[in-house]
Amino acid sequence: MRLALRATAFHFAWAGLTRLTLCALLLFCAACGEDEPARRVDMSKRQETALPTPASGITYAYLPQYSHTTSYARHHLLVEYLAKATGLPIRQVFPDTFDEHVKMVAQGQIDISFTNPFVYIKLAQHGARGFARTIRSSGRGEFRCEIICRSDNRALKTPEDCRGKRWIAVDPLSAGGYLFALGYFHDLGIHKQDFAEITFAPGPGGKQENVVLAVLAGKYDFGTIREGTLDVLKDRIDPTQIRVLARTKAYPEWLFAARKGLDERVVEKVSRAMFALDPANPEHAAILKAAGLARIIPAKDQDCDPVRELIRKLELD
Amino acid sequence: MRILTKLKFQTKIGFGIFLIVAAVALMTAIPVSRMVSRAIIAESRNRGLVLAENLSLRLADAMLTMDLLRMKIMVDELKTVGQDIAYAFVLDDGGNVLAHTFQKGFPTELKTINTAQGQTAHVQLLDTGVDKIYDFAVPVVISGRRFGTARVGLSRSRAEAEVNHLLLTFAGLSAAALAAALVLSSIFTRRVTRRINVLKQYAQEVVRGNLDIETASTLERNCWEIMTCGRTECPAYGKPRHRCWHMQGTLCPDCAPVDSQGRKSCARCPVFRENAGDEIQDLAETFGIMAMTLKKQITALGQQEQLMRTILDATPDLVCLLNADGALLAVNRAFAAYLGRSEADIVGKTEADLFPPEEAAPRQARNLAILDSGQGGQAEASVATSQGRRWFHQVDVPVRDTAGRILGILKTARDITEVKSIEDTLLQAQKMESLGKLAGGVAHEINTPLSIILGYAQMLQDDVPSGGQVQEDLRIIERQAKVCRKIVADLLGFSRQHESSMGEMDLNASVLEVASLMRHTFSLEKIGLELNLAEGLPAIIGDREKLNQVWMNLLNNARDAMPGGGTICVSTRLREPEGLLVVSVADGGTGIKPEHLDEIFDPFFSTKGVGAGTGLGLSVSFGIVQNHGGTIEAESPAPEDMRPAGAAGPGTVFHVFLPLQPQAKALPDPAAQATST
Repeated sequence: MRLALRATAFHFAWAGLTRLTLCALLLFCAACGEDEPARRVDMSKRQETALPTPASGITYAYLPQYSHTTSYARHHLLVEYLAKATGLPIRQVFPDTFDEHVKMVAQGQIDISFTNPFVYIKLAQHGARGFARTIRSSGRGEFRCEIICRSDNRALKTPEDCRGKRWIAVDPLSAGGYLFALGYFHDLGIHKQDFAEITFAPGPGGKQENVVLAVLAGKYDFGTIREGTLDVLKDRIDPTQIRVLARTKAYPEWLFAARKGLDERVVEKVSRAMFALDPANPEHAAILKAAGLARIIPAKDQDCDPVRELIRKLELD
Repeated sequence: MRILTKLKFQTKIGFGIFLIVAAVALMTAIPVSRMVSRAIIAESRNRGLVLAENLSLRLADAMLTMDLLRMKIMVDELKTVGQDIAYAFVLDDGGNVLAHTFQKGFPTELKTINTAQGQTAHVQLLDTGVDKIYDFAVPVVISGRRFGTARVGLSRSRAEAEVNHLLLTFAGLSAAALAAALVLSSIFTRRVTRRINVLKQYAQEVVRGNLDIETASTLERNCWEIMTCGRTECPAYGKPRHRCWHMQGTLCPDCAPVDSQGRKSCARCPVFRENAGDEIQDLAETFGIMAMTLKKQITALGQQEQLMRTILDATPDLVCLLNADGALLAVNRAFAAYLGRSEADIVGKTEADLFPPEEAAPRQARNLAILDSGQGGQAEASVATSQGRRWFHQVDVPVRDTAGRILGILKTARDITEVKSIEDTLLQAQKMESLGKLAGGVAHEINTPLSIILGYAQMLQDDVPSGGQVQEDLRIIERQAKVCRKIVADLLGFSRQHESSMGEMDLNASVLEVASLMRHTFSLEKIGLELNLAEGLPAIIGDREKLNQVWMNLLNNARDAMPGGGTICVSTRLREPEGLLVVSVADGGTGIKPEHLDEIFDPFFSTKGVGAGTGLGLSVSFGIVQNHGGTIEAESPAPEDMRPAGAAGPGTVFHVFLPLQPQAKALPDPAAQATST
């Protein structure tokens, strides 16, 4: 009887353990999976790579106030249009800095430059000639500089409060991002030495955006950007976190300049194609919209005289 | 399996816990390992994809500017991100390699083996023969235009090595956990089984019959100390090893009332809350109470059993209890004595084992009938025993449980042999009395015509010539008429047995008187009389004439039994213990057949030929002796010591037992009685 009971109890225990083991095996099997197929590749067959010869043609560059991808996004349709309209092999190139842009124009590596009036004045000194200027989507042919700070910065209530503060600007050659603001502060009696620090955004490219992000990060007390930059960043930051402290007066818009020595026929073809862009034409409208322009109109060197006056006032010659 | 069954309980628990932990660990570890492995591989794959996508995004500016140095730096930096990065390279839109991380040339097959379609990344597992590599192809897209492709190779083998390392670590930890579980389970089982072993020892003590065990430990504070009750009359007071919550009838006023099943609810009692232990301790304490209760019950049961045994053994009835299978469960002493066996030898056997087949068969048939019908029964049965044939009044009763199911049969048998004997005697006496009255009436009616026939026969002899045939015929009529008158006289004598004149008499003188009368007649028939009369017999109260007739009848019977002659031995003796005088008449004749022994005292029974006897002699003698308070018995063949010397046949001896005091009838000798009826 006792043996029978022991045998029965052990039988149940054994059956339980067997079931447990079966469960473990089932789980094991369930956990097993088929391996994915692999393609065989022979890594021993090797050869040295050779790059194709860079394409030749008319080079077009956008002063790198924004990142290269932004520059490309804004102007590659225009470049493609110009190439198609003129039949010239026009391609967009991307200098990393304002200085590099100026040097490449001076060295003939950039045939057509889209630049701000401050840089244009520099380029003009190297023989470049402006032949077209832009009308922005707002309908204006001028633009301003915005002095921005963080919305929660209670130390900055008026532009005069910027005295003694840390300032980040776009570039020493930036018009909307530095020069206009410098003139604005100058009119307020605030000079370079009155600021605790003046720093320029690091490159290459994306300098306008870097100013906004540096202010937003609190690294600097205020920054100066070209009007319209906040719209470029509206999908990446919370615009309410940035407060526009002041706006400078307006100056002439950006313009297209041909390098010194560029064939006049090329300039003629390009300018004619630019002027032919009609906002009423849907295809042209898409090109203009991507570039943030309303129209392109003829320009002459005197259009930048207000900027030349500012440079003189600030003794930046 | 058998070996496992024989393992100690402690080993079994430890082994069982270990197996369960191991099984659970396996159940957990194997799928978790596989899932972790998959997750790590998938994470590695995702990481490679993220790195490739990141490279693709970072390449945008460099692709626009065709900055090969930046591209080269980017892919080389990527190679330094982790050792599992096998390679990285950049293709332009035309499939030209702009930058790569390979030394000594670029693997040509690698360029086209994985292609991203449109703007969507594509992952392809490659097998280089020595390694498995996830190849990630992510297009470099700027403003919706594809500029090229970023390709990153991530070693899956390294990820698998990491997985294996992780699994090895996991296995090591699992093994350590199992070892810890084994040690802890061993400690745990040892602690548990140690207490169970103590309980086992207690149980063994109980099995050995020692119920004075104390299984519970002593307490720091006992119930009467906690409650400070001072109730020394409480059954729990002063018993430090007995828990009050296991005891009935405690007198604590704070005790919750028992429920409908007599159980206490002590959960809120401070004594219970302070002293109650775990289940094993509770079991030990309950065990102790159980042993104590058991001892009381066993003692009471023993007393009851002894009482019942005394009652059963005291009764002369044969009592036995059978189960439903016919096996004897219990018998009383009388039953055992009846069978001549010990009780231990009887219990467990069936009636077929104890009784001869001719007796066992009807017993078992009755048992089956009772078990089938559920109805008991009673009967009187004559049974041949070692002490002779005896009558029993048997009562068989079915024994039922509380549910009414028949568990067995209780059989009782009362020896009614003496009652039956008395009944037979009474019946015989009644029969004699009836016959006497009948015979007296008939004889009285016949006597008158018979006297006339005899008178006329005698007178006619005087009227016929002497010596003639007629006279001879008349003499025959006269002789036969006298025979008839003799018969009638005997009948009258038989019918008038109660008319006796009792007085003090000498038994030997009565025997001598009859012997003297008969000796001469017997000598003519070559019958000798040998008297062996005891001297100094006390006088008895009796009717001398009637007793003389008894001796005469017995002597005549003896003579008739020896037609060729012989010797008749007549003896008298005193059986002082019983207060009896015995007269024995023995012959060496043909003897009496056993089947006739019960009938020889019946009236008109005779084995003699027609006209040789009336069949009334022994009946008359029976009645006379009975009237004297005695008995008469016949024994045939005659015992050797009583049979006359030179006897021709087995012989017969008649014993007449007469009490010295008629009013105090002595009991007959049971041994002699066995052959009397």
